[in-house]
Amino acid sequence: MRRGLIFLAAWALAAGLAAAQKPVIAKTSLKVGQPAPDFTMLSDQWEPVKLSDYRGKKNVILAFYVLAFTPG
Amino acid sequence: MQAYQADLAKLQASDTVVFGVSIDSPAANAAFAKQIGVTFPLLSDMNREVLVQYGILDSFDKYASQGVKAEWARRTTFVVDKQGLIQHIDEGRDAVNPNTAVTVCTTLDSKAKS
Repeated sequence: MRRGLIFLAAWALAAGLAAAQKPVIAKTSLKVGQPAPDFTMLSDQWEPVKLSDYRGKKNVILAFYVLAFTPG
Repeated sequence: MQAYQADLAKLQASDTVVFGVSIDSPAANAAFAKQIGVTFPLLSDMNREVLVQYGILDSFDKYASQGVKAEWARRTTFVVDKQGLIQHIDEGRDAVNPNTAVTVCTTLDSKAKS
């Protein structure tokens, strides 16, 4: 009985730890027709680029790539 | 990225700007752009805020219990129109090929000019 309780406690602790360490990967929730979230990021020329600066002026393609120096 | 570069003239003619985005530093992106011959800006989301907002942060967490993990962007392309609205999304392998995104932009442009 006591061993069972200890086992249960250990299992709960492990499960809790596993849940806490689960990576936070946001699901792609954006849909066509929704506003693109605004951002300001630094370019490779160390200049800030703000998405909303292009509103009313240009269409924008945002091509997210995995990592620099990887193919694709 | 090179495929987007190949279509850059067509995109610019359609009133479209192209940005690459990753978690790399501006310095790494500058070296990468030079290596692959890309002339459009590559943007740095070093704190992953934009990737979280766009819902495309991915990670390698096999050793997360040891306190190490790696993060990166899921390959995704968004086409944003002049109103700031998302007009098209390509995910995964589809995002490597810019054809659909180019067509969406040229169509948006011809509609705007008609």
